[in-house]
Amino acid sequence: MKIKSILIANRGEIAIRIMQTAREMGIKTYAIKTSKEPGAWYLDEADELIDFTETLNDTPEFLDIERIIAAVKEHKIDAVHPGYGFLAENPVFARRCEEENINFIGPSSEVIYNMGNKTVAKELARKNNVPLLRGSKGTLLNASYAVKMADIIGYPVILKAAAGGGGRGMRVVEKAADVERMYNLASNESAKAFNDPSMFIEKYVRNPRHIEFQIMADKHGNVIHLGERECSIQRKHQKLIEESPSPALDKELRDKMGQAAIAIAKAVGYYSAGTVEFLLDVDRSFYFMEMNTRIQVEHPVTELVTGIDLIEQMIRIAEGEKLPFTQEQIKLKGHAIEFRINAEDVQSGFSPSLGVIEKISWPEGDNIRVDTGVREGSVITPYFDSMIAKLIIYGEDREKALQASSNAIKKFWIKGTKTTLSFCRAVLQNGNFRKGNFDTSFLSSELTIHYHSEPEEEMLAAFFAVYDYARDLEEAEGKVPNTEKGKRITPWLLNKRLR
Amino acid sequence: MAEQQSGNSKAKLTKLIALSSTQNEYTFSNPLEKTVKYKGEKLPVKLYEDPNGFSYILWKNKKYPLEIIEKKQNKYTVMLNGVWHSFTVETPFSLKRKKFLEAQEGVSATVTIEAPMPGKIVEVLVEEGSEIKTGEPVIILEAMKMQNEIASPIDGTIKKIMVRKNDSVMKEDLLIEIDRD
Repeated sequence: MKIKSILIANRGEIAIRIMQTAREMGIKTYAIKTSKEPGAWYLDEADELIDFTETLNDTPEFLDIERIIAAVKEHKIDAVHPGYGFLAENPVFARRCEEENINFIGPSSEVIYNMGNKTVAKELARKNNVPLLRGSKGTLLNASYAVKMADIIGYPVILKAAAGGGGRGMRVVEKAADVERMYNLASNESAKAFNDPSMFIEKYVRNPRHIEFQIMADKHGNVIHLGERECSIQRKHQKLIEESPSPALDKELRDKMGQAAIAIAKAVGYYSAGTVEFLLDVDRSFYFMEMNTRIQVEHPVTELVTGIDLIEQMIRIAEGEKLPFTQEQIKLKGHAIEFRINAEDVQSGFSPSLGVIEKISWPEGDNIRVDTGVREGSVITPYFDSMIAKLIIYGEDREKALQASSNAIKKFWIKGTKTTLSFCRAVLQNGNFRKGNFDTSFLSSELTIHYHSEPEEEMLAAFFAVYDYARDLEEAEGKVPNTEKGKRITPWLLNKRLR
Repeated sequence: MAEQQSGNSKAKLTKLIALSSTQNEYTFSNPLEKTVKYKGEKLPVKLYEDPNGFSYILWKNKKYPLEIIEKKQNKYTVMLNGVWHSFTVETPFSLKRKKFLEAQEGVSATVTIEAPMPGKIVEVLVEEGSEIKTGEPVIILEAMKMQNEIASPIDGTIKKIMVRKNDSVMKEDLLIEIDRD
């Protein structure tokens, strides 16, 4: 069944990204307009808008399953692409689409359900001989059972919420005395966030790499992988920089891990694009973590090294087409790195930085790709996540990609909000990162100062402060004409003059 | 009197000091002349704005985008090349006075823990008078759906607890005072 129209049940850069491919394929696109960002860029890129600006209930617009289903039926739209986040991995939404004969661009609701429950997913991996970390077979009964399990597994252990994600409901425990307290913390957190307090426990790999494999599978049983993504540069389990290929993998290990990823996808009856996440230990042993049943934020790095448009393949698979390539035809060429640019204050513990983007100067060039949903005048609201852009750099090899990244970041300026660009500069300055020698502990152990500034930069900033102050003083004394009277005079100066 | 005041102002104009939050001192003898003496070199700086609305400082043939993001009396926060720097601008006299006052106070024996972000107190793990080691958790704060442990930055004794379980706190609200060992 050819898809003639798609509703993108998402916003920001991923909505724009999906619309680009849909437009190239001659598919009509629909976007959802909300009252939270009625002037957002993604709305201009859509062919048609669905108006959700009127609030009907307390459910956030992009999570309102029945409202979205009703809109799709009303406008007779063929398919829905959920992007990432929101309803992308919600089995209820996928099932409602199936029931209403709406083509959900993703895997089946059953697969989403099975992979979303970590206990089920792990059981499936175990049955298919994919290596797993030692841990509890199911969810833990209570805290004292957790202590017994931890003694068997050996410390350190990690307690994880069965329904958790994004770092919530997770605690690393180093010694028996802490297990009970940490169990209660994580379990309470999960009960509040996911309405499910159930926990499991497993062996904690101290300094692993986070390696994930991109899977592409059609509805005819063909499953291939498109290589790996290295996602070890993280802060509190949030990825910040991703690259492909990983500096830690060679062909042998790539084949081995790739086959394990394919085995899991086949076992669950997967179709569409998906991602199998592994932890990789220093001794090259790897462990299955989870499968993400959606397009990932970091998909562009895979697109750049494989030359394949992942969104296009997702749409074609949803239409029932067979994969146009075999595993042997997939060649990883060159190296790609993605930097997530978030509106966050790196110098204050990455706290969100709200405001209006006043000015942007984007880097431009042949090997530079920017995926973004913001432009000058865009408002950073507290309603959505803080990512404002992805800077993706391609090079013939890792060294060249790193060099190009440094150059691009020098030309990338944003005025009006604090961003993680200063963090990206700091990472690129780090010797071990440049050597490819890092793991998920990079931010906590290696890069202890999360931003980069040369000594002369502080001096120049100091000069600018003093210069501005001296000018204010001169103006106050009438030595220079004050063109912006009232605007530049500080209350402090005013007090002085009154005296 | 009037003469004297104008004389003071002149002194201020000829020499100003930026004291950074990182405790570095930068002295500029006449900032309005736009020359900077740094590491024994005296070099000109240029300030300009491009048509796109970005302000730059040009120094040693390198341009750095910059803006003042906060200005309150003599307190400045300047964003330069994506990193912010905080300063107080001082005259030689006010700096001397500031240092004198700080020396009078001495190194504070009491450390105050503030809420790093707005949220709700889930648990207070210590009592007034209890001993605490660096890195030991004192409070659990729930914020942005995460339960965060707040750890003691020093070895010491809990002097005062200002919050209770289930209290809502704002960023920088005082939580606990600890006496240094």
